[in-house]
Amino acid sequence: MDRSLADLLDALPNEISDTAREKAEKSLRSLVKDLEHKPVPAGQLRRAWIFGSVQAKIAAAYMANWIRTGLSESEEKERRLSETRLKAALELLGGMGYLRGAMMKVGQLFANYPDIVPEEFASIFGYFHFEAPPMHFSLLRELVRGQLGADPEDLFDDFETEAFAAASFGQVHRARIKGSGEKVAVKIQYPGIAHTIRDDLRNMKSLLLPLRLRGDWDNLSAQYDEILGMVEKETDYEQEAENLRVARSAFGADEGILVPEVYSDLSTKRVLTMEFVEGIHLKTFLASNPSQEIRNAYGEKIWLSSVRLSSQKRMIYADPHPGNYFFRPDGVLGLVDLGCCRYLSDEEVSYCDAMERASIEPAETSRENMILAVDPRPGQKVAEDQLDLVKQFSDWCWEPIHHPGCFDFSDAHYFQRGVDIIREVVRRGYLRSRPVNNWQQRSFFGLRAMLYRLGAHIDAGSIYRMETTAAAQGLGEGDR
Amino acid sequence: MRITAKAKAENRMKILREAANLFKKHGFSQTTTRDIARATGIATGTLFNYFATKEDLVLALVDICFKDAEAEFQQRRRGRETVDELLFAHAAVSLRHLRAHRGYAEDVLRTGAGSSRKNRVTGEAERIRVTHLDTVKQLIGVSDGTSPEGAQKLSPTGLDLHLYWTLFLGVLNFWAGDESPYQEETLALLDQSMKLFVESLEGRQKSSLEVNDGPIPG
Repeated sequence: MDRSLADLLDALPNEISDTAREKAEKSLRSLVKDLEHKPVPAGQLRRAWIFGSVQAKIAAAYMANWIRTGLSESEEKERRLSETRLKAALELLGGMGYLRGAMMKVGQLFANYPDIVPEEFASIFGYFHFEAPPMHFSLLRELVRGQLGADPEDLFDDFETEAFAAASFGQVHRARIKGSGEKVAVKIQYPGIAHTIRDDLRNMKSLLLPLRLRGDWDNLSAQYDEILGMVEKETDYEQEAENLRVARSAFGADEGILVPEVYSDLSTKRVLTMEFVEGIHLKTFLASNPSQEIRNAYGEKIWLSSVRLSSQKRMIYADPHPGNYFFRPDGVLGLVDLGCCRYLSDEEVSYCDAMERASIEPAETSRENMILAVDPRPGQKVAEDQLDLVKQFSDWCWEPIHHPGCFDFSDAHYFQRGVDIIREVVRRGYLRSRPVNNWQQRSFFGLRAMLYRLGAHIDAGSIYRMETTAAAQGLGEGDR
Repeated sequence: MRITAKAKAENRMKILREAANLFKKHGFSQTTTRDIARATGIATGTLFNYFATKEDLVLALVDICFKDAEAEFQQRRRGRETVDELLFAHAAVSLRHLRAHRGYAEDVLRTGAGSSRKNRVTGEAERIRVTHLDTVKQLIGVSDGTSPEGAQKLSPTGLDLHLYWTLFLGVLNFWAGDESPYQEETLALLDQSMKLFVESLEGRQKSSLEVNDGPIPG
């Protein structure tokens, strides 16, 4: 047997029966053969398997799921799916090591596909975010010296040698600005991580292929490349600094939404120095048993921040996960980590407007727009049931906005429906989509998951309409 | 005419300075001892009174870098570092100080102070290797800041130090071709190499303890 195939089979969960394993071997063999005729680097794929790494383990877990869904009874599917997810998440936790930043991001990236890594595992990744063992100070010192030309203890006052958080591809340290004494958070990137991510994601692309056999590979490839570009952008802290400046300018001082200020002279592509945002994370906030009123007030700010950035700054904040929000005792919401943002082009803004119009039209008249959501090229054929799913997903996204009065985001049924639609899209292999939808989808799910956990009841529609009207009239935050 | 020790030391430094400039400008192999002597304003024969070979010149430059690095490393120690962090810091500072001579110093160091006994040359190269390894030995011997009190100290054998030197030369090799900004990828490799080395030391020590603590045969 091919060595890489044997490695992969070895990595399959133990509880898979011998018969299933035999069938799996047959299926995998044909997949590998198929892959060799595809324009993908099969050698690279094999290397990734032989690598015996986290990627191989994740792949094995997905493979196991793929095999089982084809072999098992439908009533057992859910349980097994859940086991596989768990296994994948645990393997991911166990195998991170030095590349934890990269893999953490890959994990978050998969959150786009709830069928693969569902919302409940976001909390595991959340733990990762804040409890990963830090780089030691001597490594950090060399990195800062390389980037800023001096040791951290010479550049800052009270530079804390222990990281207080792991962040996008690096870790964050508390310090004070020399002279003024202002508290800052200094985010420092792991050395060589950008390069590693590029390689890892290229391997990952090959690994994902078996799950995408029924899809349109060209389109998937384009989508994947865009995601790859997105993750690569996240490794550029200068881009993040720019996102922070743009986002900060979107909110007035009295709006209770704080985006940290960037210290440009102490920031580079790999080091980002920004104002320290005090506050607690969602988990601690919820543990304090806040009143519904307080939850709603924060919920409104979370929703408003997302809508404002998109309508006024054309910015999709695609990473609205709990680690990026701080709850301050005075009611201010801190919004940090804006590495994962994308700006909409004119054409994409028109597309979003068209989708908004379509959201209030009946299915039969909105059909053209649903086709656009799948493929913007003229004359494309899209299966009717795919269009139906796109419409269902669009309705789900717009539901809180079209809902009269307050919308109850704590409704588990609502959130689950969104997950089910995407799960169905994945199951049927309908993954052809505009690349920008990946960002939107990640943003929509992340935002709704955040509001779901917060248990917010808010008038999302009114906020949305007010913001989009103000943006259309060219009003800045100071003019409202 | 006899020259004073001070003048001799000044000449030596001047030769090293000019040699470093020429190596950087034209490369190690394209620079001759005659070029160096001319740039320094001395006769080629006089140059050989200071340095027997061109390689010795480079090794003298490396020696200066390593001494400066050692001073910086000692001054920056915090006293709470783990062994792998100490080893990392020691090697990373050395590489940083060596950066000005990247492109030629590593070749001389690799061949001159390689771990292969066959290729080993005595003199300056061996002295640099031994000095570096002496520090490494001391660093390994210090108590690990994170270990509980009374934890077994690590004691490296000659073979361990041989392994360390091999890793260090491997990192040096990578560093020489590392095109990432300020050779940041070398830092990642160095960090992992030092972790690997300490793990191997700890593993060996653990297995030797297990053997020693095992039941007495018979």
